[in-house]
Amino acid sequence: MPRYLTRRLGQAFLVVAGVVALTFVIMRVVPGDPAVAFAGPKATPEQLAAARERFGLDDPLPVQLWNYVRDLVTGDWGTSLRTRQPVLDDLFQAFPASLELVGAALLLAIVVGVPVGVLAARYKAKFPDLGVRVTSMLVVSVPVFWLALTLQTVFAGHLDWFPVAGEYDRVLDTTSPLTLWTNITIVDALITGNWPIFTSTLEHLVLPTLVVAAYPMGVIAQMTRAALIEEAGQDHTRLERALGFTETSILTRFSLRPALGPVLSLIALVFAYAIVNGFLVEAVFNWPGLGRYAVQSISHADTPAIAGVTLLVAVMYVVANLVVDVLQGVVDPRARAR
Amino acid sequence: MRWHKRLLVAGVTGAVVLAASACAGGQVRGAGGTPQPSGSTTQSAAAQANDATFVYAPNLDVVTDWDPASSYSNEIVAMSNIYEGLTRYNAESQKPEPRLATEWSSAAGGKEWTFKLREGVTFHTGAKLDAEAAKKAIERTIKTNAGAAYIWAAVDKIDAVDASTLKFTLKYAVPLDLIASSGYAAYIYDTAVADKLEKGEIDAGTGPYTIDSWQKGKETELTLKAYEDYWGGWKPEQYRKVAFRVTPEITTAWQLLQKGEVNFVQRLNPQLFEQAGMTEGVRTAQRPSFQNLLMLFNTAAGPAKDVKVRQALQLAVDYDGLTAALKGAGQKGSGLVPQGLLGHSSGLEPKQDLARAQELLAEAGYGPDLKELKLTLTYAQGDEDQKLLVTLLSTTLKQLNVTLQAKPMAWNAQWDLGKKQGQDVFVMYWYPDYADAFSWFFNVFRSADKPQFNLSYLKNAAIDKAIDALPELSATDPLAASQAYTDLQKKIIQDEAAVAVPYVQTYQRALSADVQGYTDNPAYPNVVFFHELSSAG
Repeated sequence: MPRYLTRRLGQAFLVVAGVVALTFVIMRVVPGDPAVAFAGPKATPEQLAAARERFGLDDPLPVQLWNYVRDLVTGDWGTSLRTRQPVLDDLFQAFPASLELVGAALLLAIVVGVPVGVLAARYKAKFPDLGVRVTSMLVVSVPVFWLALTLQTVFAGHLDWFPVAGEYDRVLDTTSPLTLWTNITIVDALITGNWPIFTSTLEHLVLPTLVVAAYPMGVIAQMTRAALIEEAGQDHTRLERALGFTETSILTRFSLRPALGPVLSLIALVFAYAIVNGFLVEAVFNWPGLGRYAVQSISHADTPAIAGVTLLVAVMYVVANLVVDVLQGVVDPRARAR
Repeated sequence: MRWHKRLLVAGVTGAVVLAASACAGGQVRGAGGTPQPSGSTTQSAAAQANDATFVYAPNLDVVTDWDPASSYSNEIVAMSNIYEGLTRYNAESQKPEPRLATEWSSAAGGKEWTFKLREGVTFHTGAKLDAEAAKKAIERTIKTNAGAAYIWAAVDKIDAVDASTLKFTLKYAVPLDLIASSGYAAYIYDTAVADKLEKGEIDAGTGPYTIDSWQKGKETELTLKAYEDYWGGWKPEQYRKVAFRVTPEITTAWQLLQKGEVNFVQRLNPQLFEQAGMTEGVRTAQRPSFQNLLMLFNTAAGPAKDVKVRQALQLAVDYDGLTAALKGAGQKGSGLVPQGLLGHSSGLEPKQDLARAQELLAEAGYGPDLKELKLTLTYAQGDEDQKLLVTLLSTTLKQLNVTLQAKPMAWNAQWDLGKKQGQDVFVMYWYPDYADAFSWFFNVFRSADKPQFNLSYLKNAAIDKAIDALPELSATDPLAASQAYTDLQKKIIQDEAAVAVPYVQTYQRALSADVQGYTDNPAYPNVVFFHELSSAG
């Protein structure tokens, strides 16, 4: 296991280093002076020159790359040209809310997607299977932005079942202030027993979670179904059938465990996808996550902030894959030998 | 241990590690803000009559810079309610009105200005406003030299003659009363705490509101509370609390307004704006802004160097069709200076004339039966109104055998290309930093060896001379200044054909029907002066 883990960590480091270099190069070859983002759209030549000097934008590119990497390693992710705050502080403010939304969505996707996939495999080519396949195809292909607007208009606007937008009712900040420990609102509300904020956050989470969960739920259900059907053709399944186990029992007791390998890999993939896909959902539901920060950073050509968001998403992607690799090693010892 | 138990343990361990790594350590969210207004001991019984919070829904971050010297962005909405200047521009009378100064006069041909300060004004820090404090604030802003600090460029020295008299000596004549009404860089603040403003925990203004809490990146980013000792006093029906709820999506803002969760949306799209006008509990307001779109033609190089080509382009724009397609988001202007500013001239409305455009192009050697004309145009990426202009113009020009290669670009890239004369037509919005038409002429059309905003690259000594005379005329003889502005616009638009003005942007606001007293002041873009509002509910 340690050798396996070291190998995986080494690969993860290479991926992150590649992303850092690529992000930096892309940021610098894009036309336009990044100093405008700091000095303002009507900046005088003197103000632009001062901003360029302050952020070292006049230095040769290799020097800028070296400074950038050196600062990254020491925990300085640069200063946002737009918010004028350290990028790491900005990300720390925004990321927990994204993690909260994507975490809830993935939880829902797994809790619903895996059993639904099992159901489809159990009744292969029958009505439940058809239903699952059509539904999952539908939720995978529907544009996330459209789904968000539709759910918001119907369930918040017309039916009034859920709040229109926000993370929780802002009045609670004064009536029931939240003590922060992890910066993830729902977790902090749970830890500190702040039930008004906990229930309010749950209510606000429902619609955006459904939208973000739609795609992962669909692909997880499809992948679980496909992996289980593949397992059904294996020798061990024939043996289990011959020994008199029921089809349901074979699926859940014997086939599900080896079938979970590809499903776990998929979860790592959809996790990173959901964070970026969630940007649009965050915009519709005023969710105070990375989405708003990323969108505004891009529209203001705020290069340090864009680089920060890209790096964070890349790191999350790599970490998610690493965690899944380790989990696969736990679930299926054969994976460690590969 | 069974495999699924191991999986569970791994998952729980991961979650704990994640939580621990994200650990911020027991801070209270919104700490630094005040508790419930009902707990305030200074609040009068009468004032408790309106306990409602006025909720403003901006679509971008509320504050990016808390320093009143350098602030030059979206925070103008909040800052204009926290800080005040010596004067405030009235778009109806087209004159600056008293704010922290109650009266003022100029002498020496507009090169000396004396302002009498209001008595009994205190900063939110508790310090008293006097001439020395105002002098320090303006001097610090000039020294900081960031944002719009250039507005004070004419100031040679400032003297605090006595506690309530502030005297400016200028290097050259300018209308300083107008400059002092600027929405940027003209705030009077307590410099004693200037280095403690960055975190948005305190402010140093004299305005009716002060910071309650600032939670950067959160949905309700900023809340303001009444400053009890405000010199303008408080009436029971006024809003004593204000919240800014950041809402990037227009449709979400509309839903929140309908539900009464926000009171003011700064801009809806034309469809929703029309719907808002017919919705119970919601009312709409619209008025022309001080921001117009300029199509700057390259007078220095390329095919548009020929004045006939430029005149043909002016005549090819379907001004009325564009206004109709914008559905109220923009309207046809007259000349370069929008209505509401000294220098606005009626009778300069542009009109499409394709037959004349074709004649002019033919004289320049282009046209349907002649050579094809290829032009490059740059405009703002993501701006749907500009995109509409470009689409309509491309279609029209096609009929005249003119191919328009239009490139949507981010501002910094478009501007960089423009400074290198990289296009034939440069499309951009222009707006003044204070309510004066001068910047359209000085910044955009005065000759420059290294173009900054003179992106038509116009070089005309007679126009330069007329532009240079404008500040002194505005300061001493507004009537003569108005005539000079009209003459200049004719020279630039008709004779030089350096620019076309497709439309002036119109502000389309939607607000709760029970809000009373709202007037849109285009000199302060998107600003709501909350102290002037009251609730009918």
